[in-house]
Amino acid sequence: MLSVLSYGRLVARAVIGGLSQTDSRDYSLVSASFGYGKDFRKGIFKKGMCYGDDACFIARHRSADVLGVADGVGGWRDYGVDPSQFSATLMRTCERLVKEGRFVPSNPVGILTTSYYELLQNKVPLLGSSTACIVVLDRQSHRLHTANLGDSGFLVVRGGEVVHRSDEQQHYFNTPFQLSIAPPEAEGSVLSDSPEAADSSSFDVQLGDIILTATDGLFDNMPDYMILQELKKLKYTNYESIQQTAKSIAEQAHVLAYDPNYMSPFAQFANDNGLNVRGGKPDDITVLLSIVAEYTD
Amino acid sequence: MFPMLTLLSMFYYICLRRRCRSGSRGESLGGRRALVDLGQRSTLPVTVEVEQYAKEVLDFSSHYGSENSMSYTMWNLAGVPNVYPSSGDFTQTAVFRTYGRWWDQCVSSPAQIRRTPPSFHSRDFLELAFEEQVYPTAVEVLETYHPGAVVQILACSLNPFTQNPPADVRWEVLWSGEPTKAMNPQARQFSPTIRPINFPTNLLRLEVNSSMLEYYTELDAVVLRGVRERPILALYKMPMIDISDLSDGEEDLSETGGALCCRSAAADHKHSLGNGYFDKLPYELIQVIISHLAVPDLCRLGQCCKLLQQHCSDPLQYVQLSLQPYWSRLNDASLAHLQPRCTLLQRLNMSWCGNRGAVTAAGFCSFIRSCGMSLVCLELSCCHFLNEMCLEVICATCPRLQELDLSSCDRLQPQAFTHIAKLAHLQRLILYRTKIEHIHNHIFYHESFIEDYDVVVSLLAARCRGLVSLDLWRCRNLSERGLAELVAGCAGLEELDLGWCSSLHSSSGCIQLLCRRLKRLRKLFLTANRTVCDNDLEQLAANCPSLEHLDILGEDINTLTSTFKNAVMINPLWH
Repeated sequence: MLSVLSYGRLVARAVIGGLSQTDSRDYSLVSASFGYGKDFRKGIFKKGMCYGDDACFIARHRSADVLGVADGVGGWRDYGVDPSQFSATLMRTCERLVKEGRFVPSNPVGILTTSYYELLQNKVPLLGSSTACIVVLDRQSHRLHTANLGDSGFLVVRGGEVVHRSDEQQHYFNTPFQLSIAPPEAEGSVLSDSPEAADSSSFDVQLGDIILTATDGLFDNMPDYMILQELKKLKYTNYESIQQTAKSIAEQAHVLAYDPNYMSPFAQFANDNGLNVRGGKPDDITVLLSIVAEYTD
Repeated sequence: MFPMLTLLSMFYYICLRRRCRSGSRGESLGGRRALVDLGQRSTLPVTVEVEQYAKEVLDFSSHYGSENSMSYTMWNLAGVPNVYPSSGDFTQTAVFRTYGRWWDQCVSSPAQIRRTPPSFHSRDFLELAFEEQVYPTAVEVLETYHPGAVVQILACSLNPFTQNPPADVRWEVLWSGEPTKAMNPQARQFSPTIRPINFPTNLLRLEVNSSMLEYYTELDAVVLRGVRERPILALYKMPMIDISDLSDGEEDLSETGGALCCRSAAADHKHSLGNGYFDKLPYELIQVIISHLAVPDLCRLGQCCKLLQQHCSDPLQYVQLSLQPYWSRLNDASLAHLQPRCTLLQRLNMSWCGNRGAVTAAGFCSFIRSCGMSLVCLELSCCHFLNEMCLEVICATCPRLQELDLSSCDRLQPQAFTHIAKLAHLQRLILYRTKIEHIHNHIFYHESFIEDYDVVVSLLAARCRGLVSLDLWRCRNLSERGLAELVAGCAGLEELDLGWCSSLHSSSGCIQLLCRRLKRLRKLFLTANRTVCDNDLEQLAANCPSLEHLDILGEDINTLTSTFKNAVMINPLWH
């Protein structure tokens, strides 16, 4: 009797093992980006993608696909520092690290830490600060590893529903966690969080999962249900459709941001904290949209 | 019918075999037949030129950046260019540790060893591996800032990716020149005319000298162009035989006593007139004459006749020996041959020598055991054959050693350095880019893997009160507390390098304290320290009248030159 059962189990396992062939294939991300700078400036052309004070990157490596967004803190402008320099250089450095393979896919916080350290290796380090969010897909293990410092973030959507999302890290209202490099005389009075303070998470993903990585310009203006509505329109997994969907999401957020009567998530949160406001939040918007697909060279 | 058929087929078979054999014999006759055919053809075969960027940086003598960083480190030289054709100071380029004459003019720089040939200009090197072996037709170096430092390009016959390295490794010079300074510090592609060589290569070595430049030279990428098939030209044209290349000087040394003299028999009998006027000159005078020869010439001269062989083997000629210019040809056999001559050796420079199996640890140890008793200065930079046993032998055999340079000996394990503690008279020790982990008495450090420099520095302050020069470049954890202890204990410091010590802040007063205590300061490097302020400079000017070299980050060169009247070189970052 027992032997029949164990036999049966063996056979069943063999059959199922034979049927499920998905485990051995490598996954990859097909990604596109779109965004709007706050003042419609494209700024000076920099390598990598920059929208206003935001910056992002998409990088591929043999073992992983990596995305990142960074939101430069605009307050530096009052002190004569261009906030877009810091975020753009941070993202470009992360991209270089990934391309040269100086990272471990399961440790995205390490990418942030190393990249921040490299920024300090400039003879005259850049001044400024930014949030950062890094998303790494490990091709072989099919796991997504993420690191988030500040109020940028990501959503993972499966079957029309959000299955994972990042948490915002804020010190207080409108003051997110941020990596910063300050002039030496101001070092005590400038908020500077260590890259180790980033939240990290890891989870499995499946083919067809949609990953949306964006700065707070999107999440503060568009609630989840609107984002999901837009994502439902994404039917194909080729680059052009993803690009089109990213563009429509960013456009919609951009329109909503300038609507004075709209109760945006930002306004909602402000109301919850006692501030009586309405309307969208004009801000730089950066949207990185990716789909998990099979790896093709 | 059938016997006929079999006979016929046998016949046919035999003829076929003969034809095959004669066909292959024709091919094995080699190139000659092919050449003959070629002459008759109207068009030459097309040779495809392969262009490659470096695949990997294998070895180098120094770099500006930190070991694990991407900024200003040698690893940037691999792959496609990051910056070129832009010019300027970028972190994504490869930069060496020093430039100009600063480091040569310091108190702590070693005296140059005699007999260094004036044609040897190289101060730093790097070795690059490419994917595919080709016969090189051009080498292009993409320099992005202050070009002009490349002085030699060499190619190696060894394929660094091979599993079974051959015993004989040859290096050929593709190009060599003088250190120059380009007219303007902008980016340029440096592509000198290289000599054709008769072996395919995928391992190149660049040697640089930036002593004429005003700032660090920065390299972005290296391109190797070559062809896969041996160029036909090489078979017709004999390479010009350069007298200076005839130098397998070190290989010839292994023919012991191979006197090519035709008068040896006569010289044995008649002590006098066998060597012409040389017999009339006093011994000391001949010694003085030959003391001007470079080492390979000295060895060759010793093969002329017995008298000169006696002179050239005299240990007094080998009191100072620099084998660094001959790094590509030095091997165990050469060391063994030099051994009987070097018993009075005091200063030995074997930097860069012996890599890729040319010198073994055993060969080196036996050389040191027989020649090292009087050694005072030993330079072993980038000697990758060194292991713990070698260090043990050095420290046991050379009790009077005062100067030891082990920079970039990154194969040495941390425990190997414990033997250095036995050297009681050590005055200068360089451990740049080594894996040292623990600290000992009277030793000073360059950047290494030590975690807590405050501890190191307090030990130095306690035990090495006579310290004259200290290099704490990139000692990130050094704090003002450690610095305060250091200046309290080692008040005689003349040179102090605190570049990239990011934990030192001027607001703690540590720099002003430093200025007040170190009255004899001649060189102070505060590279990349953003906190240095005017007060610090005023204190420095007021308290350190001997200051000659100053490296700070700042903007206004005019106030600096007026403040420091005696300063020879000031290196503010922005001009």
